[in-house]
Amino acid sequence: MKNPSMISKGISRRGALQGLVATTAVAAMPMRASAQDVTLRWWSPQGAPAQVDAYMAQIAAFEAANPGIKVVFETTSDEGYAPQLAAAFSSGEVPDIVTHLPSFAIQSYYANGLVEPFNDVIEAIGADDYYPGANDVFKAADGNYVGTGIGNSAANMLWLRKDLMAEAGISDAPRTWDALRSACQAMQKNGIYGAPLPYGRNSMTTLIFVGVIHQAGGQVFDTDLNVALDNQATRDALEFYASMRELCPPGATNYSWGEAITAFVSGATATGIYTGRVLGNVNAQNPPIADSVTCVTYPTKSAEIPAWTFNDFPSVFIPKQSNNIGAAKAFAASLFNPDGYIQQLHAAPGHVLPVLKSINNNPAYQSNDIIQKYPAEVELMSQAAAGGFNLGYESANHPSNDKAGEVVGSGVIADMVQRVVLNGENADQVIGETTAAIDSIMNG
Amino acid sequence: MLAAVGPPAARRPDPQRYAMAKQQQTVLERQYSRLGLLLIAPTVLVFCAVIAYPLVSAIYLSLFKIFTPTLEGTWVGLDNYRTLLVKGEFWTSLRANLIWTVGTLTLQIIFGVGMALVLHQNIWFRSLARSLILFPYFISTVVAVLVWKWLFNDLYGILNHLMISAGLIDWPIDYLGTMPNAMISVILVGAWKYFPFVVIAVLARLQSIPDQLYEAARIDGAGPIARFFDVTLPQLREVLVVIIMLRAIWDFKEFDLIFLLTGGGPVTSTQTLPLVVYKEAFALNQMGMAAAYAVIMMLIMLVFMILYMRRTQREDT
Repeated sequence: MKNPSMISKGISRRGALQGLVATTAVAAMPMRASAQDVTLRWWSPQGAPAQVDAYMAQIAAFEAANPGIKVVFETTSDEGYAPQLAAAFSSGEVPDIVTHLPSFAIQSYYANGLVEPFNDVIEAIGADDYYPGANDVFKAADGNYVGTGIGNSAANMLWLRKDLMAEAGISDAPRTWDALRSACQAMQKNGIYGAPLPYGRNSMTTLIFVGVIHQAGGQVFDTDLNVALDNQATRDALEFYASMRELCPPGATNYSWGEAITAFVSGATATGIYTGRVLGNVNAQNPPIADSVTCVTYPTKSAEIPAWTFNDFPSVFIPKQSNNIGAAKAFAASLFNPDGYIQQLHAAPGHVLPVLKSINNNPAYQSNDIIQKYPAEVELMSQAAAGGFNLGYESANHPSNDKAGEVVGSGVIADMVQRVVLNGENADQVIGETTAAIDSIMNG
Repeated sequence: MLAAVGPPAARRPDPQRYAMAKQQQTVLERQYSRLGLLLIAPTVLVFCAVIAYPLVSAIYLSLFKIFTPTLEGTWVGLDNYRTLLVKGEFWTSLRANLIWTVGTLTLQIIFGVGMALVLHQNIWFRSLARSLILFPYFISTVVAVLVWKWLFNDLYGILNHLMISAGLIDWPIDYLGTMPNAMISVILVGAWKYFPFVVIAVLARLQSIPDQLYEAARIDGAGPIARFFDVTLPQLREVLVVIIMLRAIWDFKEFDLIFLLTGGGPVTSTQTLPLVVYKEAFALNQMGMAAAYAVIMMLIMLVFMILYMRRTQREDT
């Protein structure tokens, strides 16, 4: 048996210090060795399990082709990316590559010198392979591209249940608001609500309502980026949105993207408003209604007003503070390699649509079960998304609005909806105050 | 006279030796004081690093207009304070903040003291119950909020389901999207989450109240209610003072629970000042304005603290 006192006698203070120094040195060795390698941090708000599996496959392929470069994937969220990136930029601890953020967010970062120009990556991917105009939304005032699209999305498609429509005697998909309201009223029965429109204090309400303003023939900004809310179109949009409230579940007052898609996919609502992710979710989670599901562009106030599809233009960009810009650009370009890119698109078929012609025409992409089962819906979403806009790019005549991210983040448009629809406040006064609040952000 | 009274000459110390001893003592005192300074230096440094620096930094930031991602800013002096004080949002958020704090704190104290009294009794499974009661406090706020959001859910939530099944309501209640439901729900969830802290502290104090006090009260004919108000409550006063002070500070600056449950909505009905700080800093990228809100929050808490401490001091005297 050892004598404890002998052990303590055997370790002198000098010896203990030497041991500590030696241990520290040994512990530091692997760090020095790994510091010779490059580790890229990749952020994305799109983190569904199947998508993450696809990302891992893309990472594995890139790492195999580029020894010494490691890529780590980290998930952010649609509601949380702005604060996370603001903190990352201010601390200097930025990710090396960010994907799937809306285009208007990057424009704002680029305008503040936080984003690396992307022109050479677009060239590496193949500028001619993009659909015409696909990168227009990423063009900055200085002529550079701030990023590129990793996909297109049609976020405000109207999803319908053909079986419920037939039961209610509705033969055609609604084209106007009046038709939509009538259809929802006819289908709202037996515990099923008409629609899951978002009325929450969140970005979904803001982004969807921007679409509703356009569906009324209005716009948030004019082509000189002056606030253009105070007009009849906004009043009509608010009136329509208020009239739909009784056709939505009570909890829609707190709905965001997750609740909205779940309400339709679970069968709790007769119509839905979302991207093509509905297709995969319905087939996986509620197969009995899978054959009855279809989509159209969201109705407008009158048939004369063209549809306005909200496309957030899911993007790829590289923060300027990245220490590994060269490697990040190589990785960004590799995300568009056909095998990996197709796998990524198939992870959420119809949700993120290809931006490259060669991918859309690739038999491997078209061979996906969901895409084959719903060819008309996928084609419609592709067309709608290609002609889509968002708050940072309201029309082809609008210049890029680099304050759009802050307008969305401020929640003033969602507040306007809640004040008028939920609180019943005077629409004229609320629109006036919202105009002033957006003005203040634009001039701030 | 006292001055005339002194030690006998034989006992008087040698002035030279006395001076030397005095000098040695002074040197020793100096060394001790240096050692003392050295020993408290780490504490002072840590205090400066974790309290003084952030505090001064926040006040300094509040005098600038700063774009959060780049931290570039321009000097605006007191403009941020002027702007926020004339903004309706500050006052509505402060009002929501006070309603939330008073509401949830009151319920925490009532539930906490009540549960501590129950767990102080000799009941079955007391040990197990004492462990389980801590569960809400230890569970992550994110998990707790997710669970409550499912309970509150209009389409699948158990609360609405049970109430509809029981025939109490015809349509689901919107717990988080309308007022006053949203504020009541947030206050209730906050009380559920944090009342175990009150239970732990009160239970510890209850176990140290001498039984003789209760015996004397019984002999004097005091019933259970009289014993509670005349014996238990006065004995709990000191611990309740500390609990109320701590929980008031913690509840006043609560962020995650409210943000995750309602996001401050509907409109700004449950938007408390910490949510405004977050919005200014990270949604609007106005770090200077966010710092100004944070400084005002600190001042409000300071005022409450001073008033509270004065009152307790007056009661003590």
